[in-house]
Amino acid sequence: MQFHTWIFLPFFFITYVIYWIVKNTKFRIAWIVITSYLFYGWWNPLYPILIAYSTLVDYISLTLMEKSSRKRLWLVVSISNNLFLLGFFKYGVFITDNLNALLTKIGSQYLIPSPGFLLPVGLSFYVLKSIGYVLDCYHEQVPRERNLIRHAAFVSFFPLLLAGPIERAAHFFPQLQGNPRISIQQITDGFYLFMIGLVKKVALADALALYVNTVYDAPQAYQSPALILATIAFAWQIYFDFSGYTDMARGIAQAMGFEIMQNFNCPYLATGLSDFWRRWHISLSTWFRDYVYIPLGGNRKGKWKTYRNILLTMILSGLWHGAAWTFIVWGALHGTGVILTRNLERNQFYKENIPLPIKQIWVFMLVSFTWIFFRAETWDKAILILTRIFTSGLSNPSFPLLFAVVIFVAWIYQLVRHSLVKRLSVPSPVRIGILLFLLLYLAFFGVSSGRPFIYSQF
Amino acid sequence: MDHKENKRPRISTSDEEQKQGYIPRYPLYLNLLSALVLLLVLWAIPHVWKQVEPFHPGMDYRIPYVLSEDYWIYDRYCQMAANQFEILILGDSVVWGHYVDPDQVLSSQLNHMAGKPLFANMGIDGIHPVAMAGLVRYYGQAISYKKVLLCFNPLWITSEKHDLQSRKEFRFNHPRLVPQFFPEIPCYTESASVKIGNLMERHSQFLSWTRHVKTVYFEGLDLSSWVQQKSYQNPCRAVTFQLPQPRITEQSTPPWNIRSATLQAFPWVKLETSFQWQFFRQTIRILEKRDNTVFVLIGSFNEHMMDQTSLETYRIIQAQIASWLQTNQIPFLLPSSLPSEFYADASHPLTAGYALLANHLWNDESFQIFLCKPNNESK
Repeated sequence: MQFHTWIFLPFFFITYVIYWIVKNTKFRIAWIVITSYLFYGWWNPLYPILIAYSTLVDYISLTLMEKSSRKRLWLVVSISNNLFLLGFFKYGVFITDNLNALLTKIGSQYLIPSPGFLLPVGLSFYVLKSIGYVLDCYHEQVPRERNLIRHAAFVSFFPLLLAGPIERAAHFFPQLQGNPRISIQQITDGFYLFMIGLVKKVALADALALYVNTVYDAPQAYQSPALILATIAFAWQIYFDFSGYTDMARGIAQAMGFEIMQNFNCPYLATGLSDFWRRWHISLSTWFRDYVYIPLGGNRKGKWKTYRNILLTMILSGLWHGAAWTFIVWGALHGTGVILTRNLERNQFYKENIPLPIKQIWVFMLVSFTWIFFRAETWDKAILILTRIFTSGLSNPSFPLLFAVVIFVAWIYQLVRHSLVKRLSVPSPVRIGILLFLLLYLAFFGVSSGRPFIYSQF
Repeated sequence: MDHKENKRPRISTSDEEQKQGYIPRYPLYLNLLSALVLLLVLWAIPHVWKQVEPFHPGMDYRIPYVLSEDYWIYDRYCQMAANQFEILILGDSVVWGHYVDPDQVLSSQLNHMAGKPLFANMGIDGIHPVAMAGLVRYYGQAISYKKVLLCFNPLWITSEKHDLQSRKEFRFNHPRLVPQFFPEIPCYTESASVKIGNLMERHSQFLSWTRHVKTVYFEGLDLSSWVQQKSYQNPCRAVTFQLPQPRITEQSTPPWNIRSATLQAFPWVKLETSFQWQFFRQTIRILEKRDNTVFVLIGSFNEHMMDQTSLETYRIIQAQIASWLQTNQIPFLLPSSLPSEFYADASHPLTAGYALLANHLWNDESFQIFLCKPNNESK
């Protein structure tokens, strides 16, 4: 069940009506867990068993960690279990495929049978969330949640289950305590945010996907302009797709009385690659910063170790996105890019004398270049696209003019959103006008393919 | 990744909007009023559209083939036909006139006999009784109180597949009009999401209207797909406010037996278990509830292309249909089969066939009584 499919409407309606009834009772948290498990089980009735298992192991580990003097042991048990789930379901096929390739290369007749299962949706997200929570408890950053149901609600909260944001225990658990106060304003704000997210996903991301998929499915049939435009279009497609999902998730949560952390902050206005990662998928980049980069030593142990830590963190982040070499290369490219531009971004001349649009365009170009590896299904395809960008002709790309307008408008909107436009769009009558425009745009431009969110596949 | 802070995890919940803190709060009534205005505008748009998009169906009008699944225009046609004509003929492609020109179909032949435009062709190509029930229920409100000539094409019960009882999935006509969940149609395996979308569309003028606009001006595509196909075209210029007109058949169709004279063995479904027949009866009930005066025309089916066993079963079915209609006091005509050369296929007459069928009807006593009955509008 995805937020942008019709089935979500009755699901949320029923969920919300009952939630409203029980919100001031002790059944509130139980209801969140029940509906979250139902939501998750919609894909596959076995998925709730998986999340229940993960939750239970973490809960027991944390309980024993609190009572035991061997805290580290229980930390290892919990993290190993989570990493095992991730490794087994996400990287099983990748590992066996690579081992088989190696075995074939050395002339072995024996091949390891490939595990024939698909990655359960959302696994990568709730595993990170759980690991973060366990580590926070271990370091006594947050108290252990003694109520199993509340713990389960934190892990499985359905608006965040598919693709985050990867919430932190310290921010989320307090919101599960006591009775929420939900104002009409929160509901309307939540609905408004949801609508914006829906338009981003169905009418913008899925629309751009039509062009991107056509070109990326058969790059050998296209020349430089089409390949460049498809790459730029993909940069915006993935932004609209993921930030659209996040808006919807935050909107639903807001209507339920929860405040969820922001995940995007105009990433294509970044003036450096480090800046980009402070604006893109904020919940993931801060997770990697706090639980990987800093424990590795961060920037405390000299220049070269800092570079090593950056590169390692980015490669792991790439691998988290997908079990394929293209994702690893994507992470490595970002890591290398961050290392190479790190000093440039701190340079006073760069800061003060290079015009902002130039810095933004340059970063956008770098990021778009890396998206080629992210989007291409195989390494060979990525190389083919890159080669053709530089060596093929300049034939008409047939890039829909309207898509170009949409991208331009989105760019402009990002530039002005903190100024007058933001203030103007707040009064209810103006919002209604915007909502009307969004509904009309959605009704006509919405692509009815029901394409899943890109990040829900990670 | 460049962070000077090297302590243990720090919670990142930066929300700029809240930091800036300038979002004013508005009173409840203003929010509600705004929502009301939004709903009002969404309701009004399709109505305003009717004023700007000219639609003047004439005497021999039939819904163009490309608009077969544009139920918003059908609804609009119902409103106009209900004002213009005394008797509305509902049915599938036999009424619509699959192989003949719009001025040669049953309604036109009857108008010719009446000497004035009494009958409107309200047929839709490919609409089967299950879909017809949905069409009348959700889009035919405007024809309440009118006299209706409802046609039943026995083709829809010639096999389990036609009767939608097949367990194997296949694409049938007008899925948006059939029951989406209950009763369950075994061959209809769309996702629950699509089905809910269909239910929403039935009850939302706005959604039906958007589909209408996409059907008429954008080849039935969403605009994103349309601009993808026509990269440099301006979608606004595609909206010409000119509805497609019914097409004239380019070449005449020869009778069925010239193409293939093989006799068919139809695996008829039993009437008591037939899905299509059940929904045909439901259509009659809907119409009767709306104070329509109903006359039923059965067939006329091409008996010449059936083998003996099929024909015998068909006779039994005919008798059962007639018995049910008699029991329920619904006037009907079960015309004898037309001459073989008057058929284009199993159920569609050619021009001469329509003329003869109209003649059968016109000379039928119960039909004359039906003609003379006043419309219930006066009640």
